[in-house]
Amino acid sequence: MSGTLNRREVLSGSVLGVAAAGLGGAALGAAGPDAVAATPAAAAQGSPARAEIVLRVNGRDRLLAIDPRTTLLDALREHMALTGSKKGCDHGQCGACTVHVDGRRVLSCLTLAVAVQGKAVTTIEGLSAGDRLHPMQQAFIAHDAFQCGYCTPGQIMSAVACVHEGHAGSPAEIREYMSGNLCRCAAYPNIVAAIEDARNQMERS
Amino acid sequence: MGRYHRPLALADALATLAGGPATVVAGGTDVFPARLGRPFAEDVLDITGITALKGIGLDGGWLRIGALATWSELAQAPLPPWLDGIRRAAREVGGVQIQNAGTVVGNLCNASPAADGVPSLLALDAEVELASSAGLRRIPVAEFVLGNRRTARRPEELATALLIPEPGPGARSSFEKLGARRYLVISIAMAAAVLEPAADGTVGRIRVAVGACGPVARRLPALEAALRGLPLGPDLAGTVTPAHLDGLSPIDDVRGTAEYRREAALVLVRRAIRTLTEQA
Ligand SMILES: Cc1cc2nc3c(=O)[nH]c(=O)nc-3n(C[C@H](O)[C@H](O)[C@H](O)COP(=O)(O)OP(=O)(O)OC[C@H]3O[C@@H](n4cnc5c(N)ncnc54)[C@H](O)[C@@H]3O)c2cc1C
Ligand code: FES
Ligand code: FES
Repeated sequence: MSGTLNRREVLSGSVLGVAAAGLGGAALGAAGPDAVAATPAAAAQGSPARAEIVLRVNGRDRLLAIDPRTTLLDALREHMALTGSKKGCDHGQCGACTVHVDGRRVLSCLTLAVAVQGKAVTTIEGLSAGDRLHPMQQAFIAHDAFQCGYCTPGQIMSAVACVHEGHAGSPAEIREYMSGNLCRCAAYPNIVAAIEDARNQMERS
Repeated sequence: MGRYHRPLALADALATLAGGPATVVAGGTDVFPARLGRPFAEDVLDITGITALKGIGLDGGWLRIGALATWSELAQAPLPPWLDGIRRAAREVGGVQIQNAGTVVGNLCNASPAADGVPSLLALDAEVELASSAGLRRIPVAEFVLGNRRTARRPEELATALLIPEPGPGARSSFEKLGARRYLVISIAMAAAVLEPAADGTVGRIRVAVGACGPVARRLPALEAALRGLPLGPDLAGTVTPAHLDGLSPIDDVRGTAEYRREAALVLVRRAIRTLTEQA
């Protein structure tokens, strides 16, 4: 897929300085899955080295030129304008930044963007089918499973994975396997109810 | 800033380390939170692309846990019951997102006194495999962790795997953790035990370790010797006395006092042993 980038997608990134300048075939070629991403040549001049990478987010390939130490969360929020994933703590404690990488839930604040090249990243923006909400999103609304909503994108991404893993069998199991997602508004009872409901629907479909 | 390396071949990683010091990053769940707001000034060696470091498997009497094997992989792998204890620990390290990224080897190399994997590794007599461009060496976990955040790893070495010897027939293991709440919590104390039963229904060999009660997790040799030969029944756990825990050196900190830790450790060790006798 890394050959299917079009000019508009490239330009819609917010990191144009280096991305546009480096758009030669060599740069794209080097950004395949698992390519060594470092381009430290610029380090000598004291300017940050940039890595040119292709990220597959919600089914679309995006070219970015970023400091290789950029987290996936910052890449999504600051460079791709995908602000659904939230930065609650930026060090792994809260789960608000949860996304799926090849179907598994991970914390995007503790993941480097360069390390997920060639993998499929799904964020909350990629969960619905157009205007049709995912059953988990629908269930969160139906069960009033939030107050301020800040933790909700992470809760929903984590909950979808929890069901797929087969860890949503009972309220006790849901509580254990959702323990990586904190809710400062303490909507926990409704979150558990929403997950049980969505699990039933996901299993039926 | 330093350089960022993400090699795909082990030899390239070892060449990088031979060329100068670099911070190794596996799951990053210890490294990144410790650096919040403080970008890396030094070189970084990201090992997540090295396929040779993946996987968990039994091979010739040893269980090999590759340096990239995550806690989730350990929890889900089809493994014999003598690994139940460390698999219990796998479910207690952070939440699932942490378990999906964090590695068993990273937990050990980070050498936190509260690392949940270390008591089980000690009780299992695990060894660490270390590689450098000069070759491989293996040392027991007990000799690897030297102190709070200090290990015997040389700067040019990469930990490539953990190796656990298969115990005798009928062996089983347990793990108990105490935190201020049920999940997603740093341990106040934890205990791990591995039992090899004798044919006559007594304790053949038992190995017990306690964590978060001193700068490094420790085995309890006096207790292990005292339990040998005793009948494997409901009374076994009650034979553990405070004197058996004399080797521990707990401290006062935000999570608990030394006094409380000592008491908690006693309860956790008894529970870990009770779990072993109940599994019979
Ligand atoms: C929210 C949260 C909750 C947590 N909860 C727990 C918990 O309950 N219990 C617990 O024990 N831990 C916990 N941790 C800590 C951490 O998740 C674990 O210790 C994890 O196993 C670390 O593995 P990693 O692969 O992420 O290590 P990394 O962060 O990648 O590395 C850790 C250290 O080991 C070194 N290192 C890693 N791999 C190698 C290697 N192959 N060779 C040489 N050096 C290496 C690194 O340089 C670094 O110093 C938690 C962390 C967070 C953020
Ligand atoms: S922002 Fe990633 S866990 Fe809190
Ligand atoms: S709804 Fe407010 S933090 Fe969860």
